Amino acid sequence: MKTEADYYALFEAYRAGGLGDAERTALEHRLAADPALAQRLQEFEELTGTLTAYGRRQALRRRLSAIHADMVAEHTPRLDLAKVAEQDERGEQFATGQAPRPMLRISRTEQKLRAFWQGHRATMMVAAAVAVLAVFTTLLGLEMYRTSQQSTSSRYGYTMLRREVERIKRDQRSMNRAITQIDAAAPTERVNPGKFSGTGFALTSDGYLVTSYHVIQGADSLLIENRARQRFRAEPVFTDVAHDLAILQITDKDFTGFGRLPYAFKRGQSDLGEKVYTLGYPREDLVFNDGSLSARSGFEGDTGFYQVSIPVNPGNSGGPLLDDRGNLIGVVSGRQMDVQSAAFATKSSYLMRLVDSLSAAGAGRPYNLPRYNQLGGTTRPQQIRKLQDYVFVVKVYE
Amino acid sequence: MGKGQPSYTDEEFVAAIRRDDDRALAQLYRLHFPMISNYVLQNSGTDDEAKDVYQEGVMVFYEKVREGSLELSCQIKTYLYAVCRRLWLKRLAEKTRFSGRLDDHEPFLETGAEADLEQAEEKERQLGTMAQALDLVGEPCRSLLEGFYLLDKSMQQLTDDFGYTNADNAKNQKYKCLVRLKKLFFNQYQESN
Repeated sequence: MKTEADYYALFEAYRAGGLGDAERTALEHRLAADPALAQRLQEFEELTGTLTAYGRRQALRRRLSAIHADMVAEHTPRLDLAKVAEQDERGEQFATGQAPRPMLRISRTEQKLRAFWQGHRATMMVAAAVAVLAVFTTLLGLEMYRTSQQSTSSRYGYTMLRREVERIKRDQRSMNRAITQIDAAAPTERVNPGKFSGTGFALTSDGYLVTSYHVIQGADSLLIENRARQRFRAEPVFTDVAHDLAILQITDKDFTGFGRLPYAFKRGQSDLGEKVYTLGYPREDLVFNDGSLSARSGFEGDTGFYQVSIPVNPGNSGGPLLDDRGNLIGVVSGRQMDVQSAAFATKSSYLMRLVDSLSAAGAGRPYNLPRYNQLGGTTRPQQIRKLQDYVFVVKVYE
Repeated sequence: MGKGQPSYTDEEFVAAIRRDDDRALAQLYRLHFPMISNYVLQNSGTDDEAKDVYQEGVMVFYEKVREGSLELSCQIKTYLYAVCRRLWLKRLAEKTRFSGRLDDHEPFLETGAEADLEQAEEKERQLGTMAQALDLVGEPCRSLLEGFYLLDKSMQQLTDDFGYTNADNAKNQKYKCLVRLKKLFFNQYQESN
């Protein structure tokens, strides 16, 4: 009985051609007759074949490693680059039509960064787009909010000068609180100060007044208050939006009249350089301001207005503008914010035209305008002493 | 090319490698390594990984040439690129599922590399099993078999090396070792199938 090892010796001799003719023929006969033996031979061949292949593979691996080591030893990255460049010069290209890429040496950190960027590029793009959108929406929204806040009282740097009382009221309230703490026994009688206030002045002696249109804009009710804190109820009779004028009439029954007006209205235009002044209520007391007539047109060339170099404040609106001789030449209306000391006043000629047309229409009481100016030739403090009883606070309730 | 080195065309390369020309192999290896190294590095690989992938690719090519079964329908460069690209993508997929998206938008290359690779993988598995079996077969069988089959030593030399009294003794020992290896090898190979 042969062992398997004996068969292997036989097979090896058979494959190497080391068997005699008789022996070989005998073996081939047996192989044909005995499938178990044939399979044994097949296994033997597969085993030795794989072993040999394994040997070759290892040898090849060693060879390639040696080649690689050689290459690394003699080739710096620069040479690799040069090689690729040379290939380019020879016009050699991949069959895929791809140009050979130059080899880049990048640091480990940069590699990681690149991988991260590759992986999250899309996400980051979206995030950036959203961020940019959010920033611009916010900026635009804020800008729109601001312009909408401003649009009522100012546009293009033009500011109308009616006074917002709410702000002052807040200050007053805190002051009141301080006072009541000192003197808790005396409850202060609070008077509703109104929402806005401006200035107005008498047009006729029997109860017509003039103020700016924007002062009474959106008013529910109006109160006129003179220097002696006397209050009268008033109603708008006519308004002229384009020239920012409003004519009011006092409706109180116990109102008897202003008395004779000391000033007269100028029907013509005044000259440049005329010394002018105004009286008004930018705060709780009568305030005087003066300056010169600096242009015969108003904001953006509006010929219905004068430009005057009088420092005016919110609350001055609707105040009378008088020249040196005590002629009323205009009604203070607004100022330009981005120009130094540029206030605007409606020309009295427009006021006169308005009054004339109202008289001609014949509605309401007739307008008895003052004819004579009593202020000419007097000094300015004297003029103001006479004037101050005809200038009023106009309080507006919404 | 470098100083004094012959430059080969593709046909000359194939012919020279079939003759087992060492210089041609070295030349070929150096010529295309930058391309593969660049590809692997750009697709989140390292220098070492580039080397491994490239060597595997060259081995596939070399063995096909040596067997004489290579049907090259394109340039060697393209063939190597296709083989290495497949190998690398596969390795990348095994390495991780999440980091590093596969940069595989290139057109499919009809190079025959795919089919060659499948054969090569089968062979790779067989050889892997053989390596395991050799590890398990134990001494002195392992050294004896490696000496005879891997290092091509003659029986006489092995007899001297291992101190056998004569070549017949050594031969008998070798056959016994072969039988043991056979059992290990076929068991493992069937398991892995």
